Amino acid sequence: MSESPTGQVFDLGFSRYEGKREGRRRSTLAVYKDGLRTAMGLGRGGKAKILPWVFVSASMIPALIFALIAGAVDRVAPDFSEELDLPSHADYYAIAGIILFLFAAVVGPELFCPDRSNRTINLYLVRPLRPTNYAAARWASLVTIMTVVAWIPQLILLLGLTLGAPKPGTYLADHWTDIPRFLLAGIVIAVYVSTIASLAATFAKRRAYAAAFLVGLFILTAAVVGSVGAALSDDTTKWIALLSVGDVPLYVNDLIFGEQTSNAEEASPLPGVILVGWFLIVVVAAGALVLRRYRKLTL
Amino acid sequence: MDPASTSPTRRTHGDDTYDPPVETLLRADKLTKRYGSVIALDGVSFEIGGTITGLLGPNGAGKSTAIKLFLGLTEPTSGRAEVLGQSPTQDEQIRARLGYMPEHDCLPSAVNAAEFLKHMAEVSGLPPRHARVRAADTLRHVGLFEERYRPIGGYSTGMKQRVKLAQALVHDPVLVLLDEPTAGLDPSGREEMLALVRKTHSQFGISLVMSSHLMGDVERTCERILVLENGRVVQQGETATFTEDYETLYIEVTARRSELMAALAARQIDAREDGAAVVVEDVAGETYDHIRDALVEADAPLRRLAPRRRALTDLFRTDDESEKPA
Repeated sequence: MSESPTGQVFDLGFSRYEGKREGRRRSTLAVYKDGLRTAMGLGRGGKAKILPWVFVSASMIPALIFALIAGAVDRVAPDFSEELDLPSHADYYAIAGIILFLFAAVVGPELFCPDRSNRTINLYLVRPLRPTNYAAARWASLVTIMTVVAWIPQLILLLGLTLGAPKPGTYLADHWTDIPRFLLAGIVIAVYVSTIASLAATFAKRRAYAAAFLVGLFILTAAVVGSVGAALSDDTTKWIALLSVGDVPLYVNDLIFGEQTSNAEEASPLPGVILVGWFLIVVVAAGALVLRRYRKLTL
Repeated sequence: MDPASTSPTRRTHGDDTYDPPVETLLRADKLTKRYGSVIALDGVSFEIGGTITGLLGPNGAGKSTAIKLFLGLTEPTSGRAEVLGQSPTQDEQIRARLGYMPEHDCLPSAVNAAEFLKHMAEVSGLPPRHARVRAADTLRHVGLFEERYRPIGGYSTGMKQRVKLAQALVHDPVLVLLDEPTAGLDPSGREEMLALVRKTHSQFGISLVMSSHLMGDVERTCERILVLENGRVVQQGETATFTEDYETLYIEVTARRSELMAALAARQIDAREDGAAVVVEDVAGETYDHIRDALVEADAPLRRLAPRRRALTDLFRTDDESEKPA
C-alpha cells in the first residue's frame, strides 16, 4: 500500500541500524544498570529519589555519631576510652542492620514489582535475554547498592577512629585487618538482605505488600525466637535462634570479626560451619526460588 | 474450542493463486499448540514475508499463540515455527531481530520516553552510544521527539501507544509483531497509528505482522491477510484480491426489472432481487461488461449502479461475537 506523496515531512533521522548487536551480555548489563538507576531514583522524578536517599543518609548517621564519639573521647578524656567500650567495626552491622534491612525492603520491591504490575516485564521477555538473566541482573543491582550502603558508614567509622586516635598511623597499623573484615561482612549482609528482599518482591504483587511482609518477617521471627527461646533450654534455643531472619548474617559477621556482638547471640554457641552453612542455605534457596519464579514467566 | 466445528467446506481464499512471499521471515510448518485439552493452533502451515501482514481472527482464534511461538516464548506441541529460518526457542538471540508491541499497557510511568527507549535498545543488544541515537530517531519517527523528556505516566493514550510502537522499532528489527495496535484509541488516534504502521514499512522497509480483530484496520493497512479461526488458517492472500473478488454490485432500475433479470439470467449471471435493487454477488472482470450489456438489452432505465466492496467483516460468520470491536 503506497502512500501518496503529499507534502510529507520526512524523518531524516530514522535510518537502519547496521552496527553491532551485543546479545545477551549487553541485555543483562542494561537491566543491571537500569536497576541501579531505578533503585536510586536516577532519571526519575523527585519523588522517586526521596526514599532511597533518606535511607542512605539514615544508614550513615550511626556511623557519624560513633566516629564523633570515638574522636572526641580520646581528646577530651583519653583515660576513659578503654573503659567506654567504644562501638567498633564488628558492632556496626548488629546496630545498623535493621536500617539495611529496611532499605532493602523498600528498594528491592521497587526493582521487581512495577515491571510485573505495569507488565513492562513482557517487553523484556521478548528481547534477547532469558527471564532468569533479568532476575539475576535486578538482584545484582540490589546487591551492589546494598554493598555500597553497607560499606560507606564503615569507612566513615574508620575515618573517625583513625583521625580520633592520638597516633593515626599507629592506629591504622594496629587495626588494618578491620578493613578486609568489614568489607567482607558488608558483602555478606548486602547479599543476604538483597536476596530475601528479592524473594519477597518476586512473589508480592505490590511494592507496599513486599515491604510490609519483609519488615513483619524481621520483627516477628525475632520476637518468636525470643519468646520461645526463653521458655526452652539453651540447647534447643540455639537451634531455634537460626530462624530469626534478621540475625542470620550477624552470626557470620561475628565469625568474620572473631568476636561476639550483643544483638545476635542465641545461636552463637553453634559451630561456625553450621552458621555459615545456614546463611548459605537461606541465600541459595531464596535465590533459587526467585529464578524459578522468573523462569516460568511468559506473556 | 473444537477444530472439527470449523466447516471444512469454507473457502480458503486464493489457494490456487497463492504466491508465497518473496522473502520468508516467518514460517509455520504443521504448527500445533495444545494447552491441555484445548487446541490453540491445529497443524497450521503458512509463510509470512517482507510486507505488512494482517493476522485476523476472533478472540481465541490462535493469534496470540502464534505470536508467542514465533517469539520463542513457548514450545510448539508439534510442528515447527521458524523465524528467519531458525527456531526461536533454540536461540533467543533471534529476538534481537524482532520487535513486539503488546496490546495491553506495558510502560513504566516514572521514566521519560527518551530514557526508556534508550534502555530498551540496550536490552535488545545495542551498545549505549548507538542506543541513545536510535532512541531519539525512533521517537522522532513516531512523533514524540518534543515530548521525549516528559515522564511517560503523563502521556495520553495515543502517545503511550506510540511509545509502545517505538520500543518495538528502536533496535531496528527485521520484523515487528503488533498485537492489536489500535486498541483503546479514538478514531483520529487509530488513523495516526495505522499511518505510522504503513510509514514504518514503506519508508524504512521494516516488515510488520499486525494481529487484529478489527477488519477495517487490517483492510486499510495490510498488504496480505491471514485469517485464523479455531486454530486453523481459513483464508490467506493479498488484501486487494480479497476485497475485489468479493465485490457485490447493487443495480437499481426505475422500470423493466423482470426484463433485466431475464437478460442477466441469459448471460449466466446469478442475480437476486433485494428490495428495490437487483443484487449481483462476486462481480469481477468480464461480468461488469455482461451486466452493462444486459442493462442495454433490457432497456431498463438505470437509477443507480453501486459496487459494495465486501468488507473483511464478511469473512466471518454473522453469529460471530468477536466481530464487534472490543
